[in-house]
Amino acid sequence: MKPSVFFYNLGQGFKGVFRNSVMTTASILVLIACMILVGTFYLVIDTIDRNFKAIDNLNVIEVMMDKSYGEGEILEIGHQLAEICDESPIVDWSKSRWTSDIVVPKDDTFKYVSPDEHFEIFKEMYNNAAWIEAIEKNDHEHNEGTHLGITSSMADNPLRGSYRITFVNLSDFDEVTKVKNKIDEITLLDANGIEVDAISNDDIKDHVELYGNVMSIKHTLYIAGLWLMAIFLLISLFVIMNTIKLGVFARRHEITFMRLCGATKSFIRMPFIVEGIIIGVFSALVSFGIEFYLYEYLLKDIISSATGTAGASGIISAPFWEAYALILAVGFLAIGLFAGIISSSISLKKYLKA
Amino acid sequence: MIKFENVSMEYSNGNAALNNVSLQIDDGEFVFVVGHSGAGKTTLTKLLICEERVSSGSLEVNGFKLEKIRSWKIPKLRRTMGVVFQDFKLFDKMTVYENVAFAMRVVGAKPSLIKKRVPFFLDVVGLGHKSDSFPTELSGGEKQRVAFARALVNNPDTVIADEPTGNVDTELTEGIMELLLKINKIGKTVIVVTHDMNIIRQYQKRVIRIENGSVASDKIGGDFN
Repeated sequence: MKPSVFFYNLGQGFKGVFRNSVMTTASILVLIACMILVGTFYLVIDTIDRNFKAIDNLNVIEVMMDKSYGEGEILEIGHQLAEICDESPIVDWSKSRWTSDIVVPKDDTFKYVSPDEHFEIFKEMYNNAAWIEAIEKNDHEHNEGTHLGITSSMADNPLRGSYRITFVNLSDFDEVTKVKNKIDEITLLDANGIEVDAISNDDIKDHVELYGNVMSIKHTLYIAGLWLMAIFLLISLFVIMNTIKLGVFARRHEITFMRLCGATKSFIRMPFIVEGIIIGVFSALVSFGIEFYLYEYLLKDIISSATGTAGASGIISAPFWEAYALILAVGFLAIGLFAGIISSSISLKKYLKA
Repeated sequence: MIKFENVSMEYSNGNAALNNVSLQIDDGEFVFVVGHSGAGKTTLTKLLICEERVSSGSLEVNGFKLEKIRSWKIPKLRRTMGVVFQDFKLFDKMTVYENVAFAMRVVGAKPSLIKKRVPFFLDVVGLGHKSDSFPTELSGGEKQRVAFARALVNNPDTVIADEPTGNVDTELTEGIMELLLKINKIGKTVIVVTHDMNIIRQYQKRVIRIENGSVASDKIGGDFN
């Protein structure tokens, strides 16, 4: 495109924007509403995702070992658990088949966490509190630090050992439930050779229900977001189309003359497309600013209060400029350009027949 | 060159506008096309600028075969023609200069070329001093001349004038006809669609008479009723 033609189109596009300022304002407002809606749904869903991914034991079933179990029982249960997990497609044993969207190291897929390891985690969690140190000190005084590996080396360690099974994907609830039921059926032989239940339901700890609930909310938000986006996008297209149609109607004689003079269709179409682009880009810029404000000053608080965490600090939120700025800018521009170009092209169709 | 060969044109509602028209207009010719209202003059003009398509037959205009012309080629065809419309089609919000420049701008002419040619053609039609006036400030004859300048500014091969003397008095009619003859003299093909018998008699040029969508006669000068 020649520079003179480019600047002519640009100038005509701007003239078009101001030709019918009321309709232009209406178009911009509807488009902004559409973009903010899409952006907000995206931010909420992504924040939920981030928070879930941040909780590393969410996709974990933890089978607690009874305090009374010795090494033999614990290993026996371990073998039975391994067998159950090996049959299940949601627990992936093979490194080559490792495909996870919730990434955990392969080695942690199935692992035994001893009471001592639990104690270490506990210590870290409570920042080496004095009472924990007391237990440790007391233990060292009475035991010479003999470590049994599977069972606790500390006589006073109140914690139990556990098998931790990390799922590849928690979305397959049925399979998770199957695994849980099978774990519940694990039996051991007692001193008299009679089978006894080794695991009670209380010994199985999981977040499947919580995960399911949040996933269902996320799914609802996702569907609602998509529908609202489609509806608002249609309304935007309709309003922009009418705005541009008014401009086209006002210039219909010019358009006819241009055609008869030998102007190409693209030359005639361009100022109106530029007008649509200006509306789209301006709406995208304003929406981006509003979305930034919403995220930084409102959304975090709303999510944290909705999830019951006190204050904005309770929720894990990504920094706007690093995590969202680019994707929102590109997304908003794409919506704006799509709406602007499509609606202006449709508006002109009638006047562009050869 | 313009060549109609057995051209018929029928509108979508089934009305036949032209029936089996065959005629040829050579480059540099001056032709009057006459006929009563509804005879088919306007359809003939519309076919030339490809506003309507031929239903059957073949039509060649300035090297373009219009019966099978692709839509992207139509602007190229139209650039070979300058049309002076009966209602002038001037834009009231543009000055005389801008009206003429607009015809160049829409075909992508460079601003430097526009600056050079627009004043020249305004001088040719004798309106150089009115370049900053708006059409509402001009007389009918002046508007007509602006329309001529605009039709000529892109250097077309053929100039089509639709009822150029329909809205002006006798004195201005002569001025317009002189202008058309001047245009013809520089080698342009001129087609004047009119029902003004006086100018036909006065200028003794080739006259194509259209009646009921067909060529009723095609001869130099003469009387028509």
